Amino acid sequence: MAALGAWRLLRPGRRWFSETVPGDPSPPSSPLYPPVVASATAKSKAAKSRRLQRFNQQVHAAATVEEKLRLYGKLQRPKYTVYPQTFALNADRWYRSFTRTVLVPGMPPRGAAAKPPVAAAGATLEAGRALEPGAEAPEVAEAPGVAEAPGAAAGAAPHVDIGELRSLACDALLQESFYQKKKRPFLYRDQDHTPGPFLTQLVSTLAASLSGRNPLLAASSLDLSPEVNYYWHHGEEVVVHGHRKGRVDPVRFQIDDNPHLQIRVPKQLPEVVPLESDLGDVPVIDHKPSKLPLFKKQYENKVFIGSKVADPCCYGHTQFHLLPDKLKRERFIRERLEDQIEVVYRSNGIASLFAWTAAQAMYQGFWSEADVTRPFVSQAVVTDGKYFAFFCYQLNTLALTAETIKNNPRKNICWGTDSKPLYDVVEDGNVKGFNDEVLLHLVHFLLNRPKEL
Amino acid sequence: VFAGVRQAQWLTKTKLVEGLPAAVQGIMDNPALGLQELEERAKHVVSHARLWDTAEVAPRREKYCPVLFENLIHICRLMSGNYPSLSKRMLARNCRIAATWERESILLQVRGLSGILMNSMTPIPPVASKEEILATKDHVLETFYPIAPTIDLQEVNVYKELNDTGQCFRDGYPYSHPHTLFFLESANVRTDRFRPEQLRAKMLMFAFGNALAKAKALHGNDLKVLEEPVVVQSIGTDGQLFQFMVFQLNTTDLVSNDGVKNLVWIDSDQNLYERAQCVPEVKKKVVTKPAGISGFQPDTFKKFLALYLHGTV
Repeated sequence: MAALGAWRLLRPGRRWFSETVPGDPSPPSSPLYPPVVASATAKSKAAKSRRLQRFNQQVHAAATVEEKLRLYGKLQRPKYTVYPQTFALNADRWYRSFTRTVLVPGMPPRGAAAKPPVAAAGATLEAGRALEPGAEAPEVAEAPGVAEAPGAAAGAAPHVDIGELRSLACDALLQESFYQKKKRPFLYRDQDHTPGPFLTQLVSTLAASLSGRNPLLAASSLDLSPEVNYYWHHGEEVVVHGHRKGRVDPVRFQIDDNPHLQIRVPKQLPEVVPLESDLGDVPVIDHKPSKLPLFKKQYENKVFIGSKVADPCCYGHTQFHLLPDKLKRERFIRERLEDQIEVVYRSNGIASLFAWTAAQAMYQGFWSEADVTRPFVSQAVVTDGKYFAFFCYQLNTLALTAETIKNNPRKNICWGTDSKPLYDVVEDGNVKGFNDEVLLHLVHFLLNRPKEL
Repeated sequence: VFAGVRQAQWLTKTKLVEGLPAAVQGIMDNPALGLQELEERAKHVVSHARLWDTAEVAPRREKYCPVLFENLIHICRLMSGNYPSLSKRMLARNCRIAATWERESILLQVRGLSGILMNSMTPIPPVASKEEILATKDHVLETFYPIAPTIDLQEVNVYKELNDTGQCFRDGYPYSHPHTLFFLESANVRTDRFRPEQLRAKMLMFAFGNALAKAKALHGNDLKVLEEPVVVQSIGTDGQLFQFMVFQLNTTDLVSNDGVKNLVWIDSDQNLYERAQCVPEVKKKVVTKPAGISGFQPDTFKKFLALYLHGTV
């Protein structure tokens, strides 16, 4: 730098006398001096922003997605570990604020996604494909009389044989709970004894029998106990103690999730609502995340959807989560926290689906500085073996860091139902009180596919 | 088991036939099944299990062997979109098998966890024709004199002869016919895994145990030649090498050494792929082995699928 300064002093002198030198070899199209920018190593705010810019440019310019992911998670610092299955009170409000998610109760209206001129055809497809005539009221209300007649006429081909699927489900349930002789469950491992294998059997047999109707399922990949990880920044805080005390740092989060079962597909699910839609408000919580309680740890920043980037099945379809023994309903009822039962399901759905969809988006090259250009949709079913809750998540934005969130009007959306029982009790080789609605819902989920298929 | 399959043959009074039976070969050669398109999927599935399934660099055998098996079964199950009768199958994990029989005045017993069992509602039709069964009468069982055939078997005092239908299921179970047994040798350390010869012997013994228990459940406890032979299949793998076996129980009269024998068809040591390279091997800055699966053998997958579809297609 000193040499450059001296050369600068010399040059004007020469220029003064040789202003009119003809045939200037390099026309002054490029700047004569290197750009005057802040230092990259000084302890100043300008230097910090320059370093950030340099880092962003590096990540933008990365050649492959693996390189991008590696650079994104290179710097390790203490971060909050967010557990999707948690006993924390009102965890779903906190998780919604961390992930900028709007919770909409009930399921997304499938027929409404089709545009008006195609509404009749779309609704027909919907009515014929999924339901027996005279089943769910909301769907029928959406597709008025017009759809009924063609739906009933075209009912032959896309009609789902609910009786057969019910017998498959009952068989799976009976095998795991009644027919197969097993030893007694290990202490506090009741979920691995019966509901776990039942869920695996149910999903694999249902997916196989529905694959004839849904070509996306026929090309899908089923993972048992995969790993899903996501790392992101949201908000800012001041470092409290240590050698970095007093500096302003982003708040880092990491989700490490292990769904029981996961279906990944090679094509993306269609968007439910347009990218910029606003369906509600994101809760704002003024406390530090550690009040939830959430604890900090420093370890590898992983972003993983269940398999590496090279896998062609890089989009998610449905996840199945099994709640552990620690979070069973009886425990909450015993401690008089009945309202927290639904919170457990919701927080699991929101956190797991956010991690999965965001990791899918990162696998496509998007990140917080390069926000998604199309919404990423995935579904999840959270269950404890008997009660099922269904969730559908649409990721509209990844830009959650302090700088990028300032001008970001988009919010992520999560639709979720309450938990409903699939059956009442299993006695003597019979399943009593089987609930067809829940099974239909599950079938809906598995049959979900892009419009062109 | 010392002499492997030969000893198991003597213990179960079985005649060995190399290769898979004609019925299974017929399924493999059937063009209507569209096995060609499935090859691409099988390759993806192998890559997934061996290369892509983990956030670390390379998955260990304990992880990739079961994952490969699950993926292959998933592809086979998806065929039930075209063949609805395939959905009449159910997988049962960790089932315990128990069967006893007498063999020249030695009481033998098969017990233990028999891996993963697939049951179906309908039995597999007999693979060998009646003439072949009768022809086994002339077959002489190999003995290994002076080594006693019960070498390397654990001698236990049995107080109760257990035969509880062999499978660990109660009565009234709709999927009552054992279809295929799967054995996964997924221990990380090579010495904890069975060698191919022993794996085949284990497969034979367990297939025999299941078939015997099923026969006793169907026809009672007396020792006789079966009118409808019971067929049980068995597939064993360590993640790369596959052993296929079809066992047909023709007789429960195992005390004597002559008469009709049982039959087993074995196709051994089928490689699904040659090597799976997670990181490309570079020697002196030249890539000698690129990353990926090399030497994929579609025939092995076809055999797997054919054994799965056997009995329904």
